[in-house]
Formats: sequence, structure tokens, C-alpha cells
Amino acid sequence: MKQTTAVHIQKLDKNFGEVKALKSVSLKIETGQIFGLLGANGAGKTTLIRLLIGSTKPSSGHLTVSGFDPTKGKRAIRKLIGYMPQSPALYEDLTPRENIHFFCQAHRIENISQRVDDVIAFVGLSERAHDPVYKFSGGMKQRVSLACALVHQPKMLLLDEPTSGIDPKLREAFWEHFRELTSKGVTIIVSTHQMNEAMYCDRLAILHQGVLLANDTPRQLLWNNRSRIKIWRGEQVTEKDLINYPEQLPGELQSYGLDSSVSRIEIEEDTLETVVLRMINEQEAGYLKEAKDDQYD
Amino acid sequence: MTNMIKRVGVVTGRVLNQLRRDHRFVGISLVFPLVIIYFIKVVFDALASPSFNISVYVVPYAAFIIHFITFILTAIVLVRERTAGTLARMFVSGYNPIEIVSGYLLAYTVLATVQSLLILIELNWIFELGYDLGQLASIYLVMWVLAIVSMAIGMLVSNFARNEGQVFPFIPLVLLSVILSGIILPIERLPEWVQALSFLTPLYYVNEVIQKLIIGDGLFDDWPKLIGLLAYGLIIVSTATLSLRESD
Repeated sequence: MKQTTAVHIQKLDKNFGEVKALKSVSLKIETGQIFGLLGANGAGKTTLIRLLIGSTKPSSGHLTVSGFDPTKGKRAIRKLIGYMPQSPALYEDLTPRENIHFFCQAHRIENISQRVDDVIAFVGLSERAHDPVYKFSGGMKQRVSLACALVHQPKMLLLDEPTSGIDPKLREAFWEHFRELTSKGVTIIVSTHQMNEAMYCDRLAILHQGVLLANDTPRQLLWNNRSRIKIWRGEQVTEKDLINYPEQLPGELQSYGLDSSVSRIEIEEDTLETVVLRMINEQEAGYLKEAKDDQYD
Repeated sequence: MTNMIKRVGVVTGRVLNQLRRDHRFVGISLVFPLVIIYFIKVVFDALASPSFNISVYVVPYAAFIIHFITFILTAIVLVRERTAGTLARMFVSGYNPIEIVSGYLLAYTVLATVQSLLILIELNWIFELGYDLGQLASIYLVMWVLAIVSMAIGMLVSNFARNEGQVFPFIPLVLLSVILSGIILPIERLPEWVQALSFLTPLYYVNEVIQKLIIGDGLFDDWPKLIGLLAYGLIIVSTATLSLRESD
């Protein structure tokens, strides 16, 4: 399948008064990908999602979603997208069925009742479909919220921390369904600060204080960082740090000729968390240096 | 256009569905004004002499109670919708400001219809007003329009509040409208610049029309004031729609 660009962002800035929420962010998101926005609270993930759905306007820069400018083609974009905000954003007096039905009715779609039933079954709430939402736990509300975003079968899903507060089993089911949707060409943009979830994404953008620190596949992000190789020859252990170990490892092992004295080889990969934290620290150190230099200039 | 009307109907249906289950909100909207009016009766009984024409005061006071309670409850409900994120979700789902404001207004109009009716029945009963059916129907109509205008003011105020607490600074403005409307004191006795401000409160138009109705004039005898009230409502509804923001 030929990949097309679903989202194109160029030098995007967003300021809230003095606060710079996004600083010159540029990236492309291909159709049919699960694209993760990874970062701590205040990194700019939610701001970026709100810019993509046209809820807020950029301070400068340019962005398109499925070829439309969100500030001008809001109506067109909203027919294509499903949005799940960070808070459940539901009417608590109403049942899941009534909530989903209400948000669904804004779109011109046929056989709404069947669609609502199907999506309720997917999120595993068929037995509670007629209970008011205020009786639900946080995780159950998240499930209803996801159902509201999915019900009109959008081409693009924007999910702001969709799995926070839900149990691991359901989280697994959510990701399986996300994968199923992308196989049908749906693009999913998901924000998270959970590293284990980020590994499910096809690509990741790491944001910190509004700055895009990296944009790559999760695997490449790990490989581009340090891995440690440990080689045992009897009791003697040799340790070495490698960058991009899948490419460097063969050369490293050539000197050993893999002789019989090599009894054990271990590769210790950095975790995504370590990689992200290192990037954040390096960025902050860079800022500090810049600030110091400015002070002495 | 057909789709827009359909979506207004969907929003109205959803709000009515919520109202049906929110017994506390409906209870406050319907019972509080009745209780306050009863206490006004107690106070008037203690103060007034038998020859005192209380209807000149009690009907406009009842109008103010409708205005105040409807304004505050509508504003809080709409702010709650914003803070819960459901307003943003409505926008992203494809509902536009006209559909949202119209849907809310229609749904709350059902509540206002019942509220105004109950208040008028109580007024007529406990104060023994002795108005004929035509007078009562005209007063009812004016109070009903006022309730709808008050809802629109509540919606407008909610557009400028980020949380429920930010609604409260607007309350003194509503209280000020009692002074400016002529309910307590004829506005002719006030300085001219204060009189000019009277046009900014819906209670001024309501009080003027009600005072005419009380003395037996027809609803349209002072039609400029009636038109003034309707125009005021139209301006507020339009402003509330135009200023309904999707986000901060």
C-alpha cells in the first residue's frame, strides 16, 4: 500500500501568553501508522493534539491534516477524525449508550443503533450499557469515551492518553484493536507518558517542554542510543558500549572469531525510559549552557 | 438546514433527558422560587396595611426571582459542560454554536414554561391578585419571555467563565439590575445617567410592561417596551452564540 502523508507539521509554534507550549515543531505522520506522542506532563502533547483537531490556532507555522488546514477546514477535518480527550468528557447522568448515541448523531451515518451496540460490545460494556455513567469507575469511563471516538468509524483517531487508569488486560485489547484499525488504513495519533505503551507505536515523537527531541521508530530510538556488550571468556569479562549495536556488533565480534573460549555474550540495551531521560537531560543541559553563555556575552 | 434543525433537536433531546434525571436541578429551579415568593408574602403581611396595593411590587419581584434563579442555574450548567470537556467534544463531533445554544434554549424553555406557570399560580393564590384570565395570560407570557432571556444571559456569562466560581462575580450585576429596573423605586426619581443604564437590564422592560398589565392595559398597549424585551433577548442570544468558544 502506497503511504501518504496524513499529517504534515512545519515549524509549528504555540504560545499561551508568555508560555511557549510548542517551539518550532516539524514532523510528518504517514497514513495507517500508530504515531505516539511521548513526553512528561507539560511536554506539549495535548496542545499538539488540540492544534490538529482545530480546537486552538497555532501562533506561527503551518500544519495540515489529511490535506486540510485545521484552522480553515475544521468542518472537513472533523468528519474524518475521532477524538478522545484526556478526561472522559461524558454526560454522567446519561448511560454509555445515550452518550455514544448523542455524539454519533452529529455525523450523518446510517444504522446508528447497530453501530452503537457494536462499539459498546467492543469496549466490553454491553452488560452496563443502560447504567448511568456516574456509577462507573475511571477505567470504565475511559472505555465509554473511546467508544464515543470510534463510533463513526473515523479515518484518523486522536487519543489523548487513552489507556490511563485502565487495567492491563483491557489495555492489551485496546492496542490490539488499534493495530486492527491501522491495518484498515486508519491513522492513530496517541499521546502517552507510559514507556511500555510507547513501544507499541510505529513511530514516536518525543516532546519535552514544547521541543521535539526525536522522531523515529521505537526500535531505532533504542539502537541510536547506547547498548552495552559484555563478553565472557572464562572468568574474564570484557565490557564495551556500542551505538546502533545491530550494525556494530558483527565487527565487534570479529576479533573473537567466536572461539570456543567465548562462553557467554550479553547485550544490555537501554530502556526507552533511560533513552528519553537522557535526551531530556541533554536538552536541559544545553539550555543551561546557552543561558550561561548569554549571561557572559 | 434540515440537518441543522435535526441536530438542534438532538441537543434539545439530550438536555431534556439529563434534566429528567437531575432531580436536584429541576427541584431547585421549580421549588426555590415558590419558597422565596412565600416568604415575600410573609414579609408583606407583616409590613403592609390592608389598603396597600401589593401587586405593584409582588409581580415584578416574582419576575426578578425567575430572572435571578434561571440566570445562575443556566450559567453554572453551561460552565460545567465546559469544565467537563463535553462542550469541546460536542464541537469536535460536529455540533456548531447555533445548534448548541438553540438546543439548550429549547430544552430549558420547557423548564421555564413550567416554572413560570407554577409561580403565577402561587402568586394568584397566596396574594389573591384577582386578575382576569387575559391579564394572567399576558403576565405569564412576559415572565416566560424573561425566563428565556435570563437563560441566554446565563449562557453568555458562562462563555466568559472558566469554572463555576467565576460565575459569581457576575451576580452583583444581576442584583444591580433590580435598582435599575424601577422595581424598588420609579426610575424617574433616579439621576438621568442612571436612568440611561436601565435599558441594559431586561427587568426594566419587564417591569414597565407588567405595571401596565396590572392597571388593566393590554399586552400590546406599551408595545415599544415589549419589542424592547424581545430585541434585548435576540441580541443576547446572538451574542451568546457568537461568543461561544470551543476552547480558552
